[in-house]
Amino acid sequence: MEVLVSKGFLVLAQNTETVDYVQQAYALALSIKHTQSTISNISIITNDLVPDEYKSVFDQIIPIPWFDKDKESAFRVENRWKFYYATPYDETFVLDTDMLVLDDISYWWDYCSNFDMRFCSKIFNYKQEPVLVDIYHRKTFISNNLSNPYFALHYFKKNQASFEFYKVLEFVVNNWEFCRGTFAPNDPQEWPSMDLATAIAIEISGMQDDVLDKCNPLEFIHMKSPIQGWDYTPSSWQNAVQHSLNSKGEFTVSNIRQTRLFHYVDKDFLTLPLIKKLEELVNGS
Amino acid sequence: MTTGALIFAQNNASIDYVKLATFAASRIEKYLNIPVSIVTDSTDYLLSVYPDHKFDQIIEIQTEKNIQEKNFYDGSLSTKRLQWKNFARSTVYDLTPYDRTLVIDSDYVLNSSILKSALENNYDFQIYRNSFDLAYERNSADFQRINQYSIPFYWATAFVFQKNTITQAFFDLVTYIKENWVYFKLLYNINSSTFRNDYAFSIAIHIMNGKHLEGFAIELPGKMIFAADTDILISADDSKMKFLTQKKNYLGEYIVAKTTDLDVHVMNKMSLSRFIDGGSGV
Repeated sequence: MEVLVSKGFLVLAQNTETVDYVQQAYALALSIKHTQSTISNISIITNDLVPDEYKSVFDQIIPIPWFDKDKESAFRVENRWKFYYATPYDETFVLDTDMLVLDDISYWWDYCSNFDMRFCSKIFNYKQEPVLVDIYHRKTFISNNLSNPYFALHYFKKNQASFEFYKVLEFVVNNWEFCRGTFAPNDPQEWPSMDLATAIAIEISGMQDDVLDKCNPLEFIHMKSPIQGWDYTPSSWQNAVQHSLNSKGEFTVSNIRQTRLFHYVDKDFLTLPLIKKLEELVNGS
Repeated sequence: MTTGALIFAQNNASIDYVKLATFAASRIEKYLNIPVSIVTDSTDYLLSVYPDHKFDQIIEIQTEKNIQEKNFYDGSLSTKRLQWKNFARSTVYDLTPYDRTLVIDSDYVLNSSILKSALENNYDFQIYRNSFDLAYERNSADFQRINQYSIPFYWATAFVFQKNTITQAFFDLVTYIKENWVYFKLLYNINSSTFRNDYAFSIAIHIMNGKHLEGFAIELPGKMIFAADTDILISADDSKMKFLTQKKNYLGEYIVAKTTDLDVHVMNKMSLSRFIDGGSGV
């Protein structure tokens, strides 16, 4: 008998005074609805108000489990170990809200279904050049021989192995100073990040081979300015290159079509006209 | 299926492209053993000065009405501003008498038969994207992308295509880009004031690739090896070439570079011309 497995994408959105992360999640959900041929379920974890016009794209709107320590935090990573507990799906892809899905990535589900967890460890810039070593943002990873996971894109099955990994991740996040000092003392990174917390959790749990592999198809375009291969690094990539989304849903940056997932990073990237275009792509008007 | 090579040669006041083409043709015959035709607006000159030429066909084109100029360097200390006639390249699809054509610039000197394999496969369009600068430590970023923000750079210096509807569409697209150069220059953030086939080809390939990275253009075997026009050709014997390459940060000083069995794009046409005339290129 075939066992029905629920699958879906999951995001965490916590609005600030200046950034509407719920709106970012809405745009991401629209891009998923437009591009995916098989799995287009997406749920949002948030304690913020989700406007009525956004609600239809989400499977479920899930309150942040337990307390919300993030409210007191400058770095806002304290809730991210809760994905495991919050997901309504048997198999989940976790994404950052400031992403757009530009291609049908259905085959990622097929690949990842063979494993308990998979983290993305390959990123590209908008010129489609692989960023083999990100010396700008990952000095501490390199100096401490840590693995290179990107929490912004990962997959997990709801099972014992993932549960155990997330327990370790919870420990790292809640004991950040201790873990950072112990496992990443060289070129210390002053700010807590989920990427570093994940790398440390992988180190502690010894799960390198269980969550990362070279054949892993999980990849995204990362728009942090220093890794775009420019002589000059602008504060925002939008100051250097133009972008456009056409009526077919093809998204280009400097006339180069972007593929896979696009991690736009800039908080002012998402505009109402862009959201309207995404809505038109989904609604067919 | 017929196979041959085509060389464009349009003389200006100082550079005898017909002479360079005659020399380049002799190298193609030696290493690839295929017929070579010339596309020129100087047929009378060719017939009178080079009556013993071995071109398969002479394909005459009109002298270009659009005149553009650029600086032609002859080593790092000498430069001339001359006419640059390069608008005819996009019409190659209609001009070529062959089903499969190798097109090279007249300053592309073959020293090997590496391109033979490109003439034996079945790809629609082959061109160089990867290149190698003979000069040590010169910044060659200009030949990686059309600018640092934009698309990959392809060399229109040498390419192989076979006639079909796909390559016809490609050359139609190059023509369209040429005719709307002001627009495309702006769209792709190109600083150059002149029309350049390398850029038009790069844009057309990018569009044919679906504005992504690959699909249409296949890399020719090897790399596009080049000596800039600020370098000087000293000699070319059999398959060996010797150059003075401009020394980085020392204007007018050079470092010797030698090649063996490598095809080389000799951008210093004056130097190449002097060598063909029987002296060294210095």
